[in-house]
Amino acid sequence: MKNILIFLLFFYLTANFGFSQNKSSEDQCFSCHDMLGGKPAELFKNDIHHLKGISCAGCHGGDSTSDDMDAAMNTRKGYTGVPKGDAISEKCVSCHSNPEKMKHYGSALPTNQYENIKSSVHWVNAIDGKEHIVQCITCHNAHGIVPVKNPQSPVYPINVPKTCSKCHSNEVFMRSYNPSLPVDQLQKYKTSMHGVLNSKGDSHVAECSSCHGSHDIKEVKDINSKVYPLNIPRTCSKCHSDSEYMKNYKIPTDQYQKFALSVHGKALLEKKDINAPACNSCHGNHGAVPPGVESISKVCGSCHALNAELFSNSPHKKAFDENNYPECETCHGNHEILTPTITMLGVDKTAICSKCHEENKNKKGYLVASQMKELLVRLETEEKKAGVLVDDAEQKGMEISEAKFKLRDVRQARLESRTMIHSFDLEKFKEIVDGKGLTTAKLVNEEAKAAIDDYYFRRYGLMASILVISIFAFSIFLLVKKIEKKSKNNS
Amino acid sequence: MIENINNPESKTNRRSFLNYILSISGLGLAASIFYPLTSFLKPPKQNEAEVSSVLACKLSELGKQESKIIRFGNKPVILIRTADDKLVAYSAICTHLDCTVQYRKDMGTIWCACHNGKYDLTGRNISGPPPRPLDPFAVNIKGEEIYISKKV
Amino acid sequence: MNQLKRFYSWIDERVQLSDLVNYMAKKYVPVHRHSIWYYFGGLSLFLFTIQVVTGILLLFYYKSSADLAFESIQFIMSKVQFGWLIRSIHSWSANLFILSIFIHMFSVYFEKAYRKPREATWLTGMIMFFLSLGFGFSGYLLPWNELAFFATKVGSDIAGAVPVIGEPIKIFMRGGEDVNGATLSRLFGFHVALFPGIFTIFLTLHLLLVQRQGISEPMHFEHVEKEEKKRMPFFPNFFLRDLLFWLLVLNLLAILAVFFPSELGKKADPFASAPAGIKPEWYFLFMFQSLKYLPANILFIEGEVFGVLLFGFAGVLWLLVPFWDRKSSRGQQNVLINYLGLFAVIFIIVLTILGWVL
Repeated sequence: MKNILIFLLFFYLTANFGFSQNKSSEDQCFSCHDMLGGKPAELFKNDIHHLKGISCAGCHGGDSTSDDMDAAMNTRKGYTGVPKGDAISEKCVSCHSNPEKMKHYGSALPTNQYENIKSSVHWVNAIDGKEHIVQCITCHNAHGIVPVKNPQSPVYPINVPKTCSKCHSNEVFMRSYNPSLPVDQLQKYKTSMHGVLNSKGDSHVAECSSCHGSHDIKEVKDINSKVYPLNIPRTCSKCHSDSEYMKNYKIPTDQYQKFALSVHGKALLEKKDINAPACNSCHGNHGAVPPGVESISKVCGSCHALNAELFSNSPHKKAFDENNYPECETCHGNHEILTPTITMLGVDKTAICSKCHEENKNKKGYLVASQMKELLVRLETEEKKAGVLVDDAEQKGMEISEAKFKLRDVRQARLESRTMIHSFDLEKFKEIVDGKGLTTAKLVNEEAKAAIDDYYFRRYGLMASILVISIFAFSIFLLVKKIEKKSKNNS
Repeated sequence: MIENINNPESKTNRRSFLNYILSISGLGLAASIFYPLTSFLKPPKQNEAEVSSVLACKLSELGKQESKIIRFGNKPVILIRTADDKLVAYSAICTHLDCTVQYRKDMGTIWCACHNGKYDLTGRNISGPPPRPLDPFAVNIKGEEIYISKKV
Repeated sequence: MNQLKRFYSWIDERVQLSDLVNYMAKKYVPVHRHSIWYYFGGLSLFLFTIQVVTGILLLFYYKSSADLAFESIQFIMSKVQFGWLIRSIHSWSANLFILSIFIHMFSVYFEKAYRKPREATWLTGMIMFFLSLGFGFSGYLLPWNELAFFATKVGSDIAGAVPVIGEPIKIFMRGGEDVNGATLSRLFGFHVALFPGIFTIFLTLHLLLVQRQGISEPMHFEHVEKEEKKRMPFFPNFFLRDLLFWLLVLNLLAILAVFFPSELGKKADPFASAPAGIKPEWYFLFMFQSLKYLPANILFIEGEVFGVLLFGFAGVLWLLVPFWDRKSSRGQQNVLINYLGLFAVIFIIVLTILGWVL
C-alpha cells in the first residue's frame, strides 16, 4: 500500500514538473523538498543564498535542474549529501573565499574569513580529532543564513551573546578544551552597561565580537589579540572615542585621549608595561561598569594598596563618602591621572586641599595641609641640595660613596612621605619627613661638605708645603753659594 | 754700603740670617713631612676595608622573624631570621623601581612600600609590579657573629 | 751645637768615628762639562728611600688577598688620613725612580765609567736595574685592578715564550697556570721581601765600591795635570747640591700627588674579557711594541720567541760591556760604544712613544 502511495506521489510530482520544461532554471531540489516539508527547506526560504538564486546543489552538489531524484541526487553529478565536519566549511569557503564568485553575485562581503579563522583560537581540532571545533554553520546556521544586519541572524549584534554562549557558557563542553577558561562571561555581561542595553534591543552597543573579533578571535595572551592588555585601550576607544557613534549615550568620548596622557597610559602604551592598568583593570571585562563612588579606592587600592589603606583609616573617608565625593578620583582624576606634584598639596590656589579647606572653613585640615606642604618642600630642597653637593664632591674626585648610599634613604623618605600624605595625619607624616628624611639629608650634606673641604685642604696644604720646601731649598742654595765663595776666597 | 760686605759684623748678621732661615725652614720641612706620616698611622674610624664580606650583627641582636638592613659596599642588603630559625639575605633594592624593601612579619613576606610589591622568603617576586626576584646573598655564621657576603 | 759635639765625641770614643769622618772628608767629585750627570745616582737613592718609607707605610693598611686588595686601596685613598698622599707619592716616585735609573745607567755608559777598575760597580748596578724593573712589575699588580691584572697576564705570557725555560718561569711567576690570588700573594712577597732584601745587598756593595774607589773621572782627565783637575769636596758642597736637587724633586712629587692622584679603576675580574688597548707600564712599552712589529715567523723560530731572545741577548751584552769593551779599559775612546748607546736610547724613546700613541 505504501509503495502505491509513493508511486502515486512520485507520478504526481514528475507530472507536474515533467510538463513544465521552462521550470528547469528553478531550484528543483528546493521545490521538491519544500513540498515534502522539513526544516531545511522552510529555513531556506529566507536564506540569502536562495534569494540570490543559489540552489541546494550549490552546497550539496548534484543537478538542481532535474526533478528526477535519481538524476538530481546523483553522485556523478557531484552530489555529496550532507557534508560532515570540515567538509562543511570547505563548501562555504569554495565561494566565500573566491572574490570573483562573490562579485558575480553582487556581494561586497570580505573574502578573508577563512584565513582569519585558520589563525584564530577556534581553529583547534575537536576531541575526536576528525574535524575542527567550529564550522561556518556553528555561528551562521546552515539553511537560514541571513546577512549580519538582519535581526534574524544569530550573529546580529543583539543575538551574538546568546550565540557565543552556546559553547562558552557550557561548562562541560569548555572543560574538554580549556578547563581554565571561565564560563560566566554571559552572566557578567548581562549585569554590565553593554549587556543591559543589548538586552533592551540596542544593536549599537558592544557585544562579544565587538571586542574579541568575529573570525579572527585570538587568545587574550596573544599579543595580536584585540583584547591583549596593550591593545585594550584601542579596542574600547573604537566606539568610546567616536563622538558620532556615541552621540545618543550622553557620556564623554575623551577617555582614551586623557588616558594616553596619564601615568597609567604612558606606562601601558609607551613603555609597554603590561602590569599597568588598561580599561578593564578598573572597569571590569564582561561586567563593565564605571566603579561606584565608595568602591573607587578599592579599585585603585588593588595596586596602590598602602595609599588605599591609609585613606580608608583617615578622616577623609567618612567625609568623602558623606559628600558623595568619589574617593581617589576627587584629587587624582580618573582617566587623566598624572604624576602627583607637590603643587597639589597645600593651601594656595593651585592646591587641591584648598578646594575644601580654607582658613575659616575646615580649619583643622587647612593647618595640617599647610604644614605638610612646608615640610615636604623643605625635604625636597634639602634632598636637591644634598644631591648637588655629593655630585660636586664626586666631580672633584673625592671618595663619597657612603654619602651617596645615604642619599638613597633620603629619596626613600621622600617617596614614603608622599604615600603617608594619604593618612592625613601630621604626626605620622612628620615622623617620616623629619625623623627619616631631613635628618639623613643633614648627614649627607655634612659628609659631602667635609669631602669638598678636604679637596681644598689638599690644595692649600700643597701650597704651604711647596712654600716650606722652596724656602728650605733656597736657603740650601745660599749656603752652597756661601761655602763655595769661601773656598774660592781661600784658594 | 759695599764696605759692609767685608765687615765681619755684617758677615755675622748674614750668617745668622742664613742659619735662621735654614733652621726655621728645615723645621718646617721636617714638620710637613712628619705630620702626614703620623696622621697616616693613626687608625681611621672604620678600622679596615671590608666589602667582600660584611659583619651584619650578632646572633643575639636578631630575633626570629626580625630583619635588618645592612650596608654592603654601596648597596642595601636585607637580612632576615625566619620563623624556622634560618638566616637569609637578599639585595634590598626592589627590582621594580629601586625602592628599599622591608620585611613584614604580619605578611610573612618581603614587602615594598612604594607599589605594594611582594617577595617570598626565597626572594622570588610573588605579587605586584616587581619583574624579577631579589639577588641572594650568602650568610655565614662565625661564632656569635653573622657575616654577609656575595653569593658566587 | 754643643750638644751635637758632645754626642759626636761619645760615639767617637767608642768606634773611632773620626777615622771614617776624615776619610769621607777627603772625598771629591770631579767638576767638568758632564758633572751634571753625577746627580742622578744620588737622586735614584733618594727616590728609592722614598719608596721604602711610603711602601712600609702602605703595608700598615694594604691587604694582599684577591678579595681585599682592591678594597684596601680604596680604603687607603678615602678613609686613611693622607692615605691618598702616601699612595700617590709611592706611585709617582716609582715612575720617577725608574726614569732616574735609566738616566743614571746611560750616563755611566756614555762616560764609560764602567771601565777598569769599576766593573763590579757596573755589574751591581745592572743587577739593581733589573731588580727595579721587577719591583715595577710586581708592584703594579698589587691594587688588583683590571689594567694590572691583564698587564700581568700578558707580561707573564711573554716571559713564557722563551724556549725550554720559559714555561717553568711563567708558572713560577704566576704561582700556577693562571693569574689569580696565588699570583698576587707571590708577587707581593717578591715586592716587599725578596726583592728589597736582594736589592739592599747589591746597593750596599754598590755604595761601598763607590766610596772606596771614588767618583769616576772622565777619560780625558787622564791627560790633565792633577793640579788642574777641577773638583769639589763631596761634603758639604756636592752633598748640599744633591740635597737641593732632591728638594726640587720632592716639590715635583707633591704637585703630582695632589693634581694627578693615582687612579684605581675597576676591580679585576678573571672572567671578564680584556679591555681594549692593554699595555704594560711605560718602561716595558718599548719591548712590548717592538714585539708587535716582528713577523709571525723568522726562519724557523716563532716571531715572539725570537724577539724575547733578542732582547735577552741584548741585555746580557749590555751587562757584560765592561768585559768586551777593551778599548775603554785601555783609556782609548771607543766610538762604537757611543753609537751603540745612541742607537739604544733612540730605539727606546721612539718605540716608547709609538707604544703610547698607537
